[in-house]
Amino acid sequence: MPIIDMKKVYLLAHREEREKIFNLLHRLGLVELVDVKTGGSWNEFRSLLQPEQAAGPVNRLESELGEVRYCLDFLQRNFPVRKTFVEQFAGSKIALSEAEFSGYTGQAERVKSIYASCRTAEDDLSRIRNEETHCRNLLEELRPWADFTVPLEEVKNGSRTLMFLAAVPVGAYATLQEELAANAADYYREEVSAGRETVYCFFIFPAASAEPVSALFKSAAAAVISFPGLAGTPAAVARGLEQKLAGLDEERGAVLSRVEQLVAHRPLLMAYFDYLSNERAKQEAVALLGGTGSSFLLEGWVPAPALSGLEKTLAEKTETAVLVSRDPEKYEEVPVLLHNRGPAEAYEVVTRLYSVPSREELDPTPFLAPFFFVFFGICLSDAGYGLLLSLAALFLSRKMRLGGMGKQLINLLFLGGLSSLAFGILMGGYFGDLIKLPPLWFNPLDDPMRMLFFCFVFGLVHVYFGMGLQAYRSIRAGKPLHALFDQGFWFIFLNGLILLFLPEFASLAKWLALGGAAGLILTQGRAQKGLLKKALSGLLSLYNVTGYLSDVLSYSRLLALGLATGVIASAINTMGGLAATIFGTIFGTVVMVGLLLGGHLFNLVISTLGSYVHTSRLQYIEFFGKFFEGGGRAFRPFGFSARFVDVLRAKEAGHAGTEAAVSSPST
Amino acid sequence: MFGIESGIVLALLGAALAVGLAGIGSAIGVGIVGQSAAGVVTEDPDKFGQTLLLQALPGTQGIYGLLTGFIIMQRVGVIGGGLMLDLGMDKGLAVFMAALPIALVGFLSAIAQGRAAAAGVGVIAKRPEELGKAIIYAVMVETYAVLALLASIMLLFGIPLP
Repeated sequence: MPIIDMKKVYLLAHREEREKIFNLLHRLGLVELVDVKTGGSWNEFRSLLQPEQAAGPVNRLESELGEVRYCLDFLQRNFPVRKTFVEQFAGSKIALSEAEFSGYTGQAERVKSIYASCRTAEDDLSRIRNEETHCRNLLEELRPWADFTVPLEEVKNGSRTLMFLAAVPVGAYATLQEELAANAADYYREEVSAGRETVYCFFIFPAASAEPVSALFKSAAAAVISFPGLAGTPAAVARGLEQKLAGLDEERGAVLSRVEQLVAHRPLLMAYFDYLSNERAKQEAVALLGGTGSSFLLEGWVPAPALSGLEKTLAEKTETAVLVSRDPEKYEEVPVLLHNRGPAEAYEVVTRLYSVPSREELDPTPFLAPFFFVFFGICLSDAGYGLLLSLAALFLSRKMRLGGMGKQLINLLFLGGLSSLAFGILMGGYFGDLIKLPPLWFNPLDDPMRMLFFCFVFGLVHVYFGMGLQAYRSIRAGKPLHALFDQGFWFIFLNGLILLFLPEFASLAKWLALGGAAGLILTQGRAQKGLLKKALSGLLSLYNVTGYLSDVLSYSRLLALGLATGVIASAINTMGGLAATIFGTIFGTVVMVGLLLGGHLFNLVISTLGSYVHTSRLQYIEFFGKFFEGGGRAFRPFGFSARFVDVLRAKEAGHAGTEAAVSSPST
Repeated sequence: MFGIESGIVLALLGAALAVGLAGIGSAIGVGIVGQSAAGVVTEDPDKFGQTLLLQALPGTQGIYGLLTGFIIMQRVGVIGGGLMLDLGMDKGLAVFMAALPIALVGFLSAIAQGRAAAAGVGVIAKRPEELGKAIIYAVMVETYAVLALLASIMLLFGIPLP
């Protein structure tokens, strides 16, 4: 039974037990909460119940979450943790035992202090950064004056003299000198340094010539430069700044090593983050309830097999909770929980990547599983690659803690490897032609037409199977005539057309094809109004035969991908062999081994990707198109969900079965 | 070495076009996806793996082209010794024709697939959990390259060469 039946439940309990019951439900993770106000029965309740408001702590939890997220971001910025390539697909979580996790969640004070340290560290770091920028800018400004030997604090106007530093544009420098000579009285000028565009000078003028001098400087676009607050010669000031920079660098090192000590607390922060977000989810769920002065009502969905366990637990652990359940009503949108046993479970990922089935549909997973297994094997069709793929999948599933879809995908690849191993032996592919063993069945390279024929046969079986499933759905829905009209006549018609190619069945084939066609013409227009329209759309429906034709032809990709894997592998082997002959014995062997390793690894990855996506496509377009629409809503129970940690919990007695039934959607 | 009237020239031209045109198409297609992917990874470096998967998809046409070219080289003796210098004009032309499906379809479908996959990168940017659907859209395009490869391979194996 791949789709689990759901029960609508109502839980009524005393207000005082609310938190306890919430914690219990959250722990069990068996109930999907429904907003009482949108539930079907709200109109009956509304005179009795008030909608509950989300409780106050949500805001507090929100701000604490913000603090923890800030700490994690801050640590990540300064001491990043990189995800490996595999983790980018599968996600990475740290595994904690329940005791470790609850040990972490009790450390609110610790988290507060880490947050404070992170804040201080960040403030320190930004202060250091600001000061460094300031020093660097000042150093840059002082650079042209490095050879100036007068202490900067002495460059100032006196009662009789004007004394200043100026930056004069090179173009205006000569003119300025002439003008000064003509208009000002005696003056002192020292050229300190000259850049490409600017000449840096030190000037002393008599105080009396202040006005003409300032006018001349203005017209020459020369800037008077001052260093307020600095004492000592520019060189001495620069030395001081360099020292200060070194000091700042040291200080930063100290701050960073303080931060590095905080990195050790990253697991705590991650666990605390998940703890807080779960607490917040619990508080937010309160808004879904309805209540009276002293009681509250909760509405939700529970998988039918888990119901009795839930009732028992509630009876044991609470005093006032009353649980009422009923079957879903027609108008209700029931969440869908898939549950496949054994190897078929791995193929749930294929279904889920397309869509969860809706309530009335069949779960296509167990039906597509054998086809996916076989088609993947034909596409890869190499015993060596299959073995490697299975071993790699086995290694990954051992090494990494994967849940949900990641785990299913790995299992799917493991099974695909086995299938490829089998087809590789059947078709004689061992790393292409590296190991020359005769095929158990035949090698498609020797007789591609024969293999193409088998691909079409596989495709026809797949397509017919999909049609059969749709017929089964119609019959189960009490419309056996629909099954006959929409699938039965097509089945007869198509088989008739195929048999036309076989001379010994010619007369039978003709009658089958004509009969099927007649049936289709008579029935396919039944939704139309008026005799003419009915007849016309019945006739037009025969055009759909092109759809079936292209569906079946589409399976030729099985042959093409199988050939591609084999021929590319052989090409790699040939190149390896060539390298060995060109480069001589020792070096040649090294090159050959490198070529073979790299080439076959590349081909394995590319061919596995191709096999996976093309096999999926055959399910989605050719197979699902016959009977499956999807569009269901996945069951999302109220329970523990985490971003960073994976809490390994000991299974509670009496719930092992139901937990297994519900564990799969928590991806 | 050998006269232009030898069919080997045409056969080798076929191999060159299969590898060359399909390779150009793949290079353009992969490049298109790479540009989109780089934009997404700027925002979220953790999406590198997923976007790389999409980027790999338009690369297959180049491989199919190389595959076809390799089969031609093997059949006319470039690899394995004994280049068929005396290949008839008719045989050479036949090999050339056999290379055309993957050369032409590989070239254009890789570019089209690159566009579809680049749009898929946009899907990954907003909803990384929908990677499967993004891939399927790109794979719909690849179907035609696979069919062309099949046609080229079957044509090549159908031509009797000495």
